[in-house]
Amino acid sequence: MTAPQVISLRRVLIVEDDVPGQRRLCGLLGTIVGEGLVTAIAGSVADARSAANAGTFDIALVDIGLPDGNGVELIAWLQARHPQMACLVITAWGDGDTVLAALRAGAVGYLLKDRDDAELSHALQNIQRGGAPIDPFVARRILSMLPGALPVAKPEVASDLLSGRERQILGLVAHGHNNRQIAELTGLSRFTIEDYTKRIYRKLAVGSRAAAVFEAHARGLLR
Amino acid sequence: MRAFPRAHRVAWLLLLLLICAGAAARTATAPVLTLRTAEAVASDWNAVTPPETGWVPVKLPDDWSHRWPRHDGVVWYRFTWQQAQASQPVGLLLNQVTLADAVYVNGSLIHRDPRLVEPLSRSWIKPQYFVVDAPTLRVGTNTLLVRVSGLANYQPGLGVISVGAPRAVYSEYHAGWLIRYQLRLYNQAFFLAMGVVFLVLWLFRRRDTLYGWFAASTLLIGAWDWNNVAPSTWPFASTDAFQSWNMVFYVAGTVALAVFLLRFCGKRWPRIEAALWAYTGAIALCAAFAPRLLGVWRFQLAPIDIALYFAVPLTFIGYALRKRQPEMLILALCLALPLLAIVHDVLRFFEVIRDRAYVASITAPFTLIGMSVVLAHRFAAAMRQIEDFNYQLRARVDSATARLSATLGREHALALANAQIGARLDLVRDLHDGFGGSLVSAIAALEHGPAGVNPDAHAVETLKSLRDDLHLVINTTTHAVAGDLLKPLESLKHRWSDRMDAAGIASHWRLADIDRVQFPPGQSLDVLRFIQEALTNALKHSEAECVHVDVRGTGAALCVEIRDDGCGFDASSHPKGTGLTSLASRARRLGAKLVIDTGPGRGTHLRMDVPLAGVCE
Repeated sequence: MTAPQVISLRRVLIVEDDVPGQRRLCGLLGTIVGEGLVTAIAGSVADARSAANAGTFDIALVDIGLPDGNGVELIAWLQARHPQMACLVITAWGDGDTVLAALRAGAVGYLLKDRDDAELSHALQNIQRGGAPIDPFVARRILSMLPGALPVAKPEVASDLLSGRERQILGLVAHGHNNRQIAELTGLSRFTIEDYTKRIYRKLAVGSRAAAVFEAHARGLLR
Repeated sequence: MRAFPRAHRVAWLLLLLLICAGAAARTATAPVLTLRTAEAVASDWNAVTPPETGWVPVKLPDDWSHRWPRHDGVVWYRFTWQQAQASQPVGLLLNQVTLADAVYVNGSLIHRDPRLVEPLSRSWIKPQYFVVDAPTLRVGTNTLLVRVSGLANYQPGLGVISVGAPRAVYSEYHAGWLIRYQLRLYNQAFFLAMGVVFLVLWLFRRRDTLYGWFAASTLLIGAWDWNNVAPSTWPFASTDAFQSWNMVFYVAGTVALAVFLLRFCGKRWPRIEAALWAYTGAIALCAAFAPRLLGVWRFQLAPIDIALYFAVPLTFIGYALRKRQPEMLILALCLALPLLAIVHDVLRFFEVIRDRAYVASITAPFTLIGMSVVLAHRFAAAMRQIEDFNYQLRARVDSATARLSATLGREHALALANAQIGARLDLVRDLHDGFGGSLVSAIAALEHGPAGVNPDAHAVETLKSLRDDLHLVINTTTHAVAGDLLKPLESLKHRWSDRMDAAGIASHWRLADIDRVQFPPGQSLDVLRFIQEALTNALKHSEAECVHVDVRGTGAALCVEIRDDGCGFDASSHPKGTGLTSLASRARRLGAKLVIDTGPGRGTHLRMDVPLAGVCE
């Protein structure tokens, strides 16, 4: 088992149009990181792009609903232009489709704004340690994309993409167990489980990129 | 003069009629003199008196063609009989005269046919009866002179002659008239009527050629029967033409019958049928252009026609006996029995039997009735089949319609349900994006206000409880499958596990046998709210280290238990109006009773059992 990849929260680009939301994230980050925190705040996609081009950031926290565009597209753009920058999507409520789209665009995780400060802080610390949050709705959406989940739907993810262990973990999450409980059930450490989660996300992103390449080939865009 | 005998006659009727005729003859008690010998002499068409010489003795009935094979014209027959007294009239019966005649008694003309030269009258169709008295009638020797006009080809001559009391002679005449003429007239009318009925049937339904062939056969044979009742050669210009066409009708009628029988058996014999029609066509051509030739060849052709006539029914009878189908057997019977009558008529034709009449044709109506019964039965069977088919078709259409409407109903219900789900999801999305976003933003604004401003703790709590409740609403609605409690519970579990973890409280959940628990969405929401409120209380007030949540289906009820190891409270002194009241009222709404087991220092144990049926709203 490789050690989880640590993500630094020192230089943070916050893309959020709601001022209390901006303040809240800054406050939480300040509590976690303490001295040396550098934050840049962008209220729109355009601001975020110029900020990303102007400075260097460890991570971007991207809200979905922005005045001039969609956070998912911004994440895809950031992944293409600034691949060294990790992206987290911020969403108010757990909407499986949105989170999944962000993950496939390359986000390493997500934050749920409707959680209490303590939970959010907990989640950010997890991310900092290399973990990745996951909720039942996201797990169910991923499972439903696997072959055999729905007989009619075209599988969006190749069956051999996820390992048995990864599927097991997704299943446990879908049934409402949190990472601590899964760790108890499987005998794995919480960090290992979060690493699995992260790998699942990465595979989704790779899978979606592979699918895009395949599609481009099929349409004759690439030779 | 008679053309050819024919099939399908009912033998027993024939016998009956003969018996009747015999009985009628026997009732004539008075002595009747039957003249069986005469003198005959031939003369030309226009002679008004018989020649003086050349008389030869003949026996009656006489066919002069045996004696004078090529004589077309007039033959005079002379008879004498003795009359004891002339005061009473005398009846005279000429059994059969072929073809036209004039009758003289003692030199006086007592009868003359309308046409004594071609086209000749056709007096042969019925007997002739006259009454003679003085002065024509004399005491002593009386002379009867019959002038017969005829053609050698058509069995010309004279039958026997009866003389006697008018009453006795008339009854003999009447019996012959009835059998030879009257019955045949009826018979023919019957044929034509039946033929027309089936012809019309066929015209309206051309595909059923069976009826067409039956009509053709019946009408042609009816036309052939015209020979037996026609008093003149009309519509033909001569006896030769009349007789030739009569033969055509006979042949065509027989061939049509053969085709009818073939079709009845569901068969086609193209070559044989073609040969038969070719023969018919040849006869018709001959009749049209050389009618006299047919008269000459009449006897040579007769065996072919007769063979044909026997071959057709006999073939069918053989086939019917092999197949043993009731319909065919009845038809075979109609054809079989009359063959006996045919034999009689054939023998009469060749003068083996010197009977007065051809009898077969009078049996025709009965045969025809039999055949009509068979055809009508077949028609009725077809109609029944159609009715049955219609009935089945209607039943099938009805059931298909019922299935279709059931399917449409289901689809409609499904579409309606989907539309409701869609509308609910839209509503949830709106809540989520608008109200939910504002709520979260408001909480963040209060908690992370400008530095130095203390947040109003109560307002934050209220907003958070609103937020949590909204969360539950969204959660249950998103899992919009009616009654699905498990998925929202799992989401609740996950969320609260994280929250408890963050608060440093260990949470243990047990969700068991909930898959089959069915609740309307509103009640699912109430169950979830109950648990969430209990957990909120535990998180805020219990100071517990460990919380157990246990939700399980027990078949009749859903059992919900929340237990913590916190400080507990004194239930008797605990002020009303807090979370406990709300929990109790939620339990009541679900038809359950809230059971609280707590005390200072020994944790809190909440329990409710929601009945799975008859939940009161």
